[in-house]
Amino acid sequence: MDGDSSTTDASQLGITGEYMASGHYVLQPQDDDGEENMNDHEDGGTKENYREQDIYLPIANVARIMKNAVPQTGKIAKDAKECVQECVSEFISFITSEASERCHQEKRKTINGEDILFAMSTLGFDMYVDPLKLYLQKFREAMKGEKGIAGVAVGESLGEDLTEDSFTNQLPTGIITDGQQQNVMVYTTSYQQFTTIPTVQQIQFS
Amino acid sequence: MAQTNPGKDSQASEAKKLISLPTSRVRLIMKSSPDVSSINQDALFLTTKATELFVQHLALTSFNNGSGREANSLDYSDLAKTAEETDTFHFLTDILPKKILARDYLESLEQLQDEDTDF
Repeated sequence: MDGDSSTTDASQLGITGEYMASGHYVLQPQDDDGEENMNDHEDGGTKENYREQDIYLPIANVARIMKNAVPQTGKIAKDAKECVQECVSEFISFITSEASERCHQEKRKTINGEDILFAMSTLGFDMYVDPLKLYLQKFREAMKGEKGIAGVAVGESLGEDLTEDSFTNQLPTGIITDGQQQNVMVYTTSYQQFTTIPTVQQIQFS
Repeated sequence: MAQTNPGKDSQASEAKKLISLPTSRVRLIMKSSPDVSSINQDALFLTTKATELFVQHLALTSFNNGSGREANSLDYSDLAKTAEETDTFHFLTDILPKKILARDYLESLEQLQDEDTDF
């Protein structure tokens, strides 16, 4: 082999990432523009390797949540958005299969809220559980009087009509911790009125 | 979707404000897991909301812990690093392999071969 490394196609080189001793690696084309051409920037995303799970949430929604989570001046690369889109599907499947397993163990057919919360706790997302319980409470209050078929219908249609416009008044709320669990940023909205004025409290754990 | 009762309308729109992801798509992904028969409304709502929290959590953690390539930005390598180093996100390592340039890979391969011939 000569020193010319212009051939970056893994299949031509006959090597795969598995040869690396540690970690997981894939080969990245030297020319990043090459990667752009391969990507379909619609919410489906066309990648070289098709996984079984190629159903994704719309990238606009995902990107918006990411944008609101990082500092305002921060930049987010396009491949990061697409990547998180895929991670999201992975997350949903991860939680769902754990919840489903518990459901089967208890001889039930329908996955309920408890199953989901239990799955989160089991899989290391217990920091989400308390905020989620609060949201569930709000959700139930909002849906009061919508019980039965009507309630289910509304539930299914939640979020379906979202367009770019509908985000102007919505801000994500949640509890975010960084890797070291030292900083907890709490974004809250007013619980009474469902207004969208956020208050951010930063709690430091030393 | 048509709601004639104004009271019901405001309740439904209040519920809508709680989430910013399409529940129908979330449910589609959930249903693609094996052995999932039905999902109740609470479960769907919780999963959708949890997904939002997850996106925020992953984005911010990766942004802060970045690979140092560029300050104040979030790119693929930041995500891959976070998946590798943070227990909570370890389940993502299979779909977030670290990328290296082919040139660097070939170099390290050559180094390994050189080491073999030294013995």
